[in-house]
Amino acid sequence: MELQPIYIQILALAIFALGLMTAISRRNLFFVLMGVELALNAVNLSFIGFAKTLPAEMSITGQIVPLFSIAVAAAEACVGFAMLILLFRKKESVDSDNYSNMKG
Amino acid sequence: MLALIYFIILAVVALGAAVCVFLSRHPLYGALSLVTSMVALAGIYGLIGSPFLGVVQIMVYAGAIMMLVTFVIMVLNGARDSKTPMFDKVSLFIIPAVLVLAGLVGFALTRAPLAFDATTLRGSVALTSRTLFDVAQTGPGYFVLFEVLGLLLLSAMVAAVLLAKKRLGSVDTENTEESH
Repeated sequence: MELQPIYIQILALAIFALGLMTAISRRNLFFVLMGVELALNAVNLSFIGFAKTLPAEMSITGQIVPLFSIAVAAAEACVGFAMLILLFRKKESVDSDNYSNMKG
Repeated sequence: MLALIYFIILAVVALGAAVCVFLSRHPLYGALSLVTSMVALAGIYGLIGSPFLGVVQIMVYAGAIMMLVTFVIMVLNGARDSKTPMFDKVSLFIIPAVLVLAGLVGFALTRAPLAFDATTLRGSVALTSRTLFDVAQTGPGYFVLFEVLGLLLLSAMVAAVLLAKKRLGSVDTENTEESH
């Protein structure tokens, strides 16, 4: 038995599914943002796993794109948590159901 | 063989920590589980031959981003609001839907022929930096993206400061805040 690329992809898929479930079904706003981070991590893992299946020069691209994705995730977390602070100051609650003012 | 054993250990740690994020009640426990998951993923990056990305993952993700997360949780004291239920009735539909989606994607993945390429390059610091800052006309041009990323991070920082700053107490500023 050797390490196969498909194992890495299955692991990335499982972590992505868990992140998606956390982001959509949890009601605490902190967990919504943490689920997004988890899903982004899984995508990075998938990128690197696929990069290792490509021949010489092409495999570098898959190892550079995650750098950009990590930086974009940093910007996202920065703005997201600033908005969370703003929301929390208004209503003193982290339940996402309290922010349904725009429900039609 | 040894690589597979290391991979299984790290994968179990990463998956278990991800499940903990999904099921934990207090946001701080969730954040610490998330750090564990990220460190395990950094180990996997190093294992399959991208040591630079593993280090970046630990420094930027587990270090900087999760520091921000735990800082915000502690500043806002998220435990104060402990009566928020974890799930509601909609979760009954979301969780099976996501599981079915994952099953379909996994089915498609297992049917694809995938194999490690022997000539694949190891993402060391020297090679990554040479590709990233290749300013030749025929090069891949990642340095432009790098510059754009600097602008993005700067604007994100300014946006965060403007959003989260305390409102200043003087009448003048309060009036201008109202009129916006």
